[in-house]
Amino acid sequence: MNETKPVEVDLDDIEEICEGFEKREGSAVQILQRIQEKYGFVPAEALELVGDVLGIPKSKMYGVLTFYSQFYQEPRGKFILRVCVGTACHVRGAGMLVDKVKEELHINPGENTEDMLFTLEPVACLGSCALAPMAMVSGTAYGKLSPDRMASLIKQLEVEEAAQEQEKETV
Amino acid sequence: MLTETMEEVSSSSRMATGLPVIHIGMATCGLASGARPLLEVLRKEVAKRNLDVKIVPTGCIGMCHNEPLVDVTIPGRYRVSYRNVKPNTLSQILDSHFQKNEFAKKYATCQIPVEGSVPYEGLIMMAEMPFFKGQVKIVSKRCGIIDPLSIEDYMGMDGYKALEKVMTKMTPDEVVQEVVKSGLRGRGGGGFPTGMKWSLTRKSPGTEKYVVCNADEGDPGAFMDRSVLEGDPHAVIEGMLIAAYAVGNAVKGYLYCRAEYPLAIKHLRKAISDAKARNFLGENILGTGMSFDIEIKEGAGAYVCGEETALLASIMGERGMPWPKPPFPAQKGVWGKPSVINNVETLANIGHIILGGGEWYASYGSEKTKGTKTFALTGSVKNSGLIEVPAGTPLREIIFSIGGGMVEKKIPFKAAQLGGPSGGCIPVDGLDTPVDFENVVAAGAIMGSGGIVIMDESACIVDTAKFFLKFTQDESCGECTPCRVGSKIMLDILTRITEGKGQEGDLDELVRLSMYVKSNSLCGLGGAAPNPVLSTIRYFREEYEAHIRDKRCPGTVCNELIKYVVIEEDCTTCGLCEPVCPTGSVTWEKGEVAHIDLTTCIRCKACVDACKFRAII
Repeated sequence: MNETKPVEVDLDDIEEICEGFEKREGSAVQILQRIQEKYGFVPAEALELVGDVLGIPKSKMYGVLTFYSQFYQEPRGKFILRVCVGTACHVRGAGMLVDKVKEELHINPGENTEDMLFTLEPVACLGSCALAPMAMVSGTAYGKLSPDRMASLIKQLEVEEAAQEQEKETV
Repeated sequence: MLTETMEEVSSSSRMATGLPVIHIGMATCGLASGARPLLEVLRKEVAKRNLDVKIVPTGCIGMCHNEPLVDVTIPGRYRVSYRNVKPNTLSQILDSHFQKNEFAKKYATCQIPVEGSVPYEGLIMMAEMPFFKGQVKIVSKRCGIIDPLSIEDYMGMDGYKALEKVMTKMTPDEVVQEVVKSGLRGRGGGGFPTGMKWSLTRKSPGTEKYVVCNADEGDPGAFMDRSVLEGDPHAVIEGMLIAAYAVGNAVKGYLYCRAEYPLAIKHLRKAISDAKARNFLGENILGTGMSFDIEIKEGAGAYVCGEETALLASIMGERGMPWPKPPFPAQKGVWGKPSVINNVETLANIGHIILGGGEWYASYGSEKTKGTKTFALTGSVKNSGLIEVPAGTPLREIIFSIGGGMVEKKIPFKAAQLGGPSGGCIPVDGLDTPVDFENVVAAGAIMGSGGIVIMDESACIVDTAKFFLKFTQDESCGECTPCRVGSKIMLDILTRITEGKGQEGDLDELVRLSMYVKSNSLCGLGGAAPNPVLSTIRYFREEYEAHIRDKRCPGTVCNELIKYVVIEEDCTTCGLCEPVCPTGSVTWEKGEVAHIDLTTCIRCKACVDACKFRAII
């Protein structure tokens, strides 16, 4: 397991997020999305608070949270490697990309690396099938990937991150 | 961030007129092919040469396999399109146009007519290219041509004229009638007549009505709606506005877009805010007294939300689980009020139908499926991308004329998978099937939302069926048992077959379970989940039997069934295969034929790739 830093969830913050929605009881999905944007995942405390603010039973909030695959109950890595495993990518070797990530980073789908830099997240179709196999990291799409290109993409992200860290230190 | 870049680019493009224009394809497919760094290079080159030009980002013209695409338009001349543009070719393209006053012959793909301008000699017209020749572009007409972030560009190509027409010259009933006349049927896959849906919602009592756009394009292998949303977002907004007017002054629209399409969502947000600024959306629209606003709801990763009642549940903040119909959404939809739900492509067609007339639209297509349909053509086909053809175009024409045939010339066509996880595979014998709602169903697949994945002989049919069933099994919401449990048992059987543990009787059991799941599931997801299995058993029974009886995978895809052997006659005893084996399963002595120990072989193919003499198969 990865060490998870305790997250401070502030009731004011949650109330502020809920304020922005007019039909509040119907906006549970969107409110959870905003919370996830803020914290990177949906902390258990936040889920309870949202239920209280919206007047929705906790059981129901939990039901909504666990129904959708894009909500996370635990922190995730800085770079989410969203490897497309849709039809076109599948027939063009997406499985080998997933295997390569597993091999390079020693993580399984849905897991984070120990340094919390990467999370492997296979997704069903990112809609760029003509460039299969493809992957998306931080909103940037990478097409016509091969296992080797996948490995160098990981390397590149690691190098960029290290450079940024160093810059921070020198500042 | 990209959006800011694009906004910056497009706002600068709007200020200038009469200048040369450079379009750069920046839809997701363009970006994935390196359009972003290319844009930087383009800017530098333009600055270096002191050129006074407009740089305009555009959407997807359909030739995704040729991205990044760059078009150059010199005032008074036709627009020249360049494909697979790399930073170093860019410089030569600019030299040709701006120094030599000609086009770069070596890299040009085609030219696109510009009204009142002169064509270049010796360059094929876009419409004459094999890829475009059989196509009829209605709904994708503006994609890749205009700047999707510019409402002026949209209005410059008849944008919002249909809205003006319905609001000033047509009654809501006349609008519904026009759509009925066009014969337009739901493009999301259901094929329900759009005019009838509108008419039902119009007749439902109540003053609070809603318009919902289904942009939850979840089928893997389909990206038609993404291209329209990214390349022509205002067309969808205009379609929603016309629907709102036709069903009886709907108060609000919801646009439910899947979160996997971040660029589409950004473009939609910009389009909605621009439309508001011009009072196409908001209060008292264009002084007519009608008020309408659109809210974007982002999906959260659940395929079943593409089903209309599940989508409504998700809009209302609930678990996206379907409910039994009736009541239909036209009677009881969002917040229990009458709602009309249409797919992106359906709505984007509306403006064209209003301006061109229902009869004009109905003049395209086949007897029961009118108009055109967009398809995402992918897989082992040469020209993969987005195409739009009249409904009823034979599959053969789509694959071999427009698609340019197979990507690997030596590996022949095996099957076309139509309709994604709810669809099926059509084999060689079915190549002459006209692609419309009825004929594709008769051939054992569905037209669906429009994904066509081409497979060649190196693909495994059983693996494909397993792939789709695994997808639907993952995405089954769990509400009803036949779908939740039935699909799991079917997947277990298929997995067993691909692992070489198939038994006699498995196929009969699969068919029996398929029929049961089909007829007893609540929604379309379960009802169609067995289709990929049924259609492949129907056409490729021998391939299943090869897996079950002979423990052999003809496409050499199923790992457990692959047995690599060294062909003695072809082995030159060179020994290249021995050191590459990660498990030490390949043994070789100088002057001897290599040997593979199948008990430790992990089928990684390293030895196959290392052998220069194709002696390992």
